[in-house]
Formats: sequence, C-alpha cells, structure tokens
Amino acid sequence: MYSLKDRLDTSTVTPTKPILAAKRRRQLHPFFFRMGPVALCITSVLLIALMAVFYLSQCGQALAANQQVQKIREQQSTLRRQNQDLIDMVAQEQSPAYVAAQASKLGLVPADPKTVQVLVVPRLQPPRRDNDQQILP
Amino acid sequence: MNTELRRARHRQMFIFLFVCLAMLGLLVRLYYWQVVRAQDLTQQATAEHIQNQIVNAPRGIIFDATGHILATNVVRDDVYIEPIQFVVDHPDTDHSPSELQDLVRTLHQVLPAVSQDQLMKAFASGKTTVRIAGPIEPAQSQQLRSLHLPDTFLEPRTLRVYPAGNLAAQTLGYVQDGVGGLYGIEGAYDKLLTGKPGNLTAETDLNGNPLTVGASSGQAATRGANLTLTIDSTMQQIVQSALADRVKASNAQGGTAVVVDVQSGAIVAMAGAPTFDPNHYASYYKTMGCLDSESVYLNPVLNCAYVPGSTLKSVTMAAALDQGLITPDLSFDDPGYISFNDAVTVTNWADKGYGKETMTGVLEHSANVGAAYVAHDILKADRYYPYLQNFGFGQLTNVGGPEEQGTYRTNKSADWTPSDLTRQAFGQSITATPLQVAMAYAAIANGGVMMRPYLVSAIDNNGQVTQTRPQALRCVISDTAALQLNHMLVDAANFNQQATFSGYSVAVKTGTATTQGISDEQTEASMAGFLPASHPRFAILVKIDRPQGGDNIFGGVAAAPLWRYIGQQLMWHYGVAPDQP
Repeated sequence: MYSLKDRLDTSTVTPTKPILAAKRRRQLHPFFFRMGPVALCITSVLLIALMAVFYLSQCGQALAANQQVQKIREQQSTLRRQNQDLIDMVAQEQSPAYVAAQASKLGLVPADPKTVQVLVVPRLQPPRRDNDQQILP
Repeated sequence: MNTELRRARHRQMFIFLFVCLAMLGLLVRLYYWQVVRAQDLTQQATAEHIQNQIVNAPRGIIFDATGHILATNVVRDDVYIEPIQFVVDHPDTDHSPSELQDLVRTLHQVLPAVSQDQLMKAFASGKTTVRIAGPIEPAQSQQLRSLHLPDTFLEPRTLRVYPAGNLAAQTLGYVQDGVGGLYGIEGAYDKLLTGKPGNLTAETDLNGNPLTVGASSGQAATRGANLTLTIDSTMQQIVQSALADRVKASNAQGGTAVVVDVQSGAIVAMAGAPTFDPNHYASYYKTMGCLDSESVYLNPVLNCAYVPGSTLKSVTMAAALDQGLITPDLSFDDPGYISFNDAVTVTNWADKGYGKETMTGVLEHSANVGAAYVAHDILKADRYYPYLQNFGFGQLTNVGGPEEQGTYRTNKSADWTPSDLTRQAFGQSITATPLQVAMAYAAIANGGVMMRPYLVSAIDNNGQVTQTRPQALRCVISDTAALQLNHMLVDAANFNQQATFSGYSVAVKTGTATTQGISDEQTEASMAGFLPASHPRFAILVKIDRPQGGDNIFGGVAAAPLWRYIGQQLMWHYGVAPDQP
C-alpha cells in the first residue's frame, strides 16, 4: 500500500541517468563510507594535528641529533686539545735539556773525556751507513 | 532622506575613508619594509642565523732528524669579560656592587696574575668586551669552565710552542701571533707550514654553533706541511750548551758553532750565543747577537759574516795543491816578513820568523808570510780567485732563512789591489759566514767534492713526502790535492796538540782574526777542521767573538777546547770507530 506522497513522487520525479548519479555520489562522498561536513572537518583537523605531531617529532629528533653532534664536536675539540697538550708534554720530556736535568737530579754526571779509554780494534772498518753512496758532481 | 539617515551615512563614509586611509598607510608601510628595505633586512636576517666561519689550518710540526718535536701547536684560552652585559644583567644598583665584588674575587682566585684593581677597572671600562688574561694554563681554563661565571667567557687560541725551549732557536725562528713565521725555518717555510685555511657557511643556533639540520657548505682546511730537519737534538744540545759555557769562560761577547756531515752536506748542529727562547721571544727584542750588530733572532751561522783569519790558509793551500804548483814538502825561507813590489809587507804574528819552512810548516805555524807567498808569488790572482768562488765564498748557501753572503774584492773589482790578494791568503780583507767556512772544510774532507748544505731533510705535505737527497755541487779540488791537504792539516793538528784527543785523528786549522780600526786584542778566535781524518765524517767550525784575557784571544786557546769537546762528543754519539791507537 502506498501513500499519496509516494505516489506523487514516483509520478513527478524523473529518474537520473545511472552514470551521472554515480559521479555525483563520488563528488559528495569521496570515501566508501558516508561522512557529513562536521565529521569531515573534525577528521581534517585531526589529520592536520597528526601531521603536525609527526613533523614536530621529526624536528625534535633532528634537534636532539644536532645537540648530540654539538656535544661530540665539543668532546672532539677537548680531546684534540688534550692530545696536543700530551704531545707537547712528551716532546718537553724528551728534550735533551730536560733529560740532562733529570739525570743530574738522579746524581749522574757527564763522562769526563780525560778518563774515557778508547779501545782500538785492529783492522776494524767503520760501519757503512745507509746514505753512504757514490755522489758525483 | 531624513537628517538621522544622512548623519548615519556621513559617519559610515567617514569610517570607510578612515579605514581606507589606514589600509593605505599599512600598504605604504608594507611596501617600505617588503620592497624598499627588503634586501637590507634579508641580509640582516641571513647574517643573524647563517654564519661564515674561517677554519684555521693547523700549522705544520717541525721534527729533528731523530723524530723529536722541535715546534708544535697547543690551544690555550684567553679570558674575556663583558662589562656592559654585567650592567644590563644587574640593574639593581643596591646589589650589583657586592655581586661585582664576588665575581672579581673569584676571577682573581683563578687568575692570581690579574689583580682585583685591574679587574675592577676592566669592569668599569664601559666596553663591550675586555680581555683580562691569556693565554692561561689548561688547569685555569678547566677551573673557569666549571665555575660558570656570569659575563665571562673563554676564547680559544692556537699557540706555537717549542717544547725544547731555546734548543736550535736561531735555526727555527718563531711565530708571531697574527703575523706568521719570522726568522729561521719558521720564516723561510712559512707558506708551507701555514697550510690553507678553510671555511664553513652554515645556519647556526643562538650560540653560533652550526646546525646539522640546516643548509651548510664549506671547504675543509688543508693542514700545514710537517718538516723534518737534519738537526740532531742531542748534538744540538751538546754544541749549544758547550758553546754557551765556552763563551762564558772566555768572557767573550758571543760565539758560533756548526757541525756538518761532510758526505751529505746535512747540517747536524748549529748554534749561536747569545740565543733566545722562542716561547718568550718578545722578552729578547733588545738582545743583540753577532758582536752587537744584529738581532739575536738571526742565526749567526748564516748571518754573522766575519773575518775568517788563518782558517782560510787551507783554501790558499788547496788552490796551489790542486794546480800542482806546490807540494806539502816545498820549502821557502820565512824570516817573519815578506815584501812585495806591488803590495804591502806581510808579517807573521809577533813578527816571528821560522827560517826554512815547508808548506805543511806554514799550516803548523800558521805563518802569514807563507800564505801570502803562495798566493802572490806562486798562485797569482787569476789562479786564486776562481778557487775562492768554487769554495762558495761570497755566495749564498740557501739553506733556509735570511743569510749573508760575505764579501771580498777580486782582481775584477775596481778598487782591488795586490795587497788584497796577499791579505786574503791568510784570511784578512774577506768576510765569510761560519757556514761557508765549514762547507769549505767539508769539501776538503770529502775528497774535494763540495756538497750542497741543507737543513730540511723531508717535507710531508699532507702525505706527499719530498725527501732532500744529498747533492754534489761541484768538484772544487782533486781527490789527490784534498788528501794531501788532509795530511797537512793532520800534521798541523798534531804539531799544535790543541784539538787532538785519543783514538781519533783530527785535521784542523786555527784562526785569529783582527778587525781594522780596533785593537788587535779584540779578536775573533776560531777553529775549523774535520774528523776522523782517515774517514772524515764531520766538519766542525767554532768561533768565539772577542775572547778576553792574555793568550785566550787566539783561536788555538779560545776555540780549540770547544772544537775538541764537540769532536769527541760526535765520535761517541755516533759510535764512530777509532782510527788511531
């Protein structure tokens, strides 16, 4: 049984062409599920917020990495400085004047040339040095 | 239209016009900032967060022949304060004096060399930044860093340091902050040692640190080349300290000593007295060397040309022997003086005559008459001067750093007279550097072959290593003549017994030079020679400037003990086999 209204609708409304109807439906409802304007707005805001969170998270990670790099650079600079200081200290302690001073502190004295005995080995030839080579003008 | 409506429309029009005007004003202002000032503001903004930093290249290290470091770099901090920032940070006038007092007290505790008054003056200067100390010790830097003092910061600075102090100072030179290498090797090889600075353009944070996430570009710095010298630190120390002791014992004005490897031309040690400490070079700016005629920063072995005196008699003999004009046994009569038709009379020291004297005897007695006789009567000018030139006199050695070339007149000079020849034969009327004299003796020791002297044995330019190979410059005299002269010099050494020591044969000649215009007591006493004479390894020259006291003014007395000491130490240090029972 049909109401009068139903009958009137069926008699007066011209049915739309099926292809055009599908097109319109896709334009109005881009998703598989139906979404009203309020829901669309809320979803958009949520999506934008999510993207912002991702972006901020990445920025945060990059900044943390940057801070870490800065810290490593500072550490490298400190270690380089300490290395230079150690090289300098080793060089100082290897210098002949320092060695002589330390030897004197330990009670050592330079050999007196007058008391040094030189032993001569007969027919001993001086050892040949690496740079002993024939050099012609 | 009623009055009320008209008024309302007028109000609307007025508001509309006002809004239009305001919009126009805003547009004009916007145009001004966005178009007119755009470039300037963009630059300012860019400068604010993008920085272009110059990355300094580390200066190359200088090593000795055994790999010990002679010059290196360290980083030290300068301490700065920010007086204006302090005032901004402490607007409360009631509390700021006590806070300033606390800050000053803390700074003074860490930096005792800076008085509290100096610090108060610095804070009252009204300047943006004031350097209050530096370079400071690493412990002080650490202390200041841990204290986190407000309105105080540390600025790192690279310093050139010489760990061995004054060792080979005049050979090395020094580095002046902001200027570069001066004198010696530091000056001569400054470009190589400095390297090439790089740059870094990057977005920076508030503290000026480059951001990893931002855009950056740059060029890496190329570090300076490392140099290896031929100097042996141990021998240098022995020579340097022995020279200083000898100068002191002789009450002399100064002295010079140089040791050369005769087979390669490598300089093993060279020292001058007085010398300086390159770590504190500024303290020595008034000190003079080379008979008070030159700055102490100059290397006297290369720069202090002197009258070589009798050490040059060997060169005269070498020229005559090489041309076969004399033999070691050739004799002549030496009454203590010799007169020439075209030159002034030459006398021996104290007019002493030696009668019938051989050429070896001329060297043994250091007879001026014999040397003048050989040069004037036997060699003559045309056969003498080419030898002086070949032995390197009057020419630069180019070992590195500033140097003199010495001068002498030849028969080609306009003002030359035969008296110049007779005087030059025994080392007067000529000036030469100590290195030139040492190289002449090295050539005699090396069978007459003159080697090119060198000081830098290797240059390591970021992995590209350039080695200096010994190079023979020329054959100055024949092997036979060199051997004959070698024996003559050994005889002279054995005759005088001033430089001989057990186990090794030595070939030496003394020199006692006077300068025209000053007292004959003011001499330059020297000794040159080589050892062991049978297989020469090292040539040594020592020179004492103006020794004082009686016989001490002669080369055989003032310089010989030092020559002998250096010779002995060389033989022991390098383990040279003895050549004499």
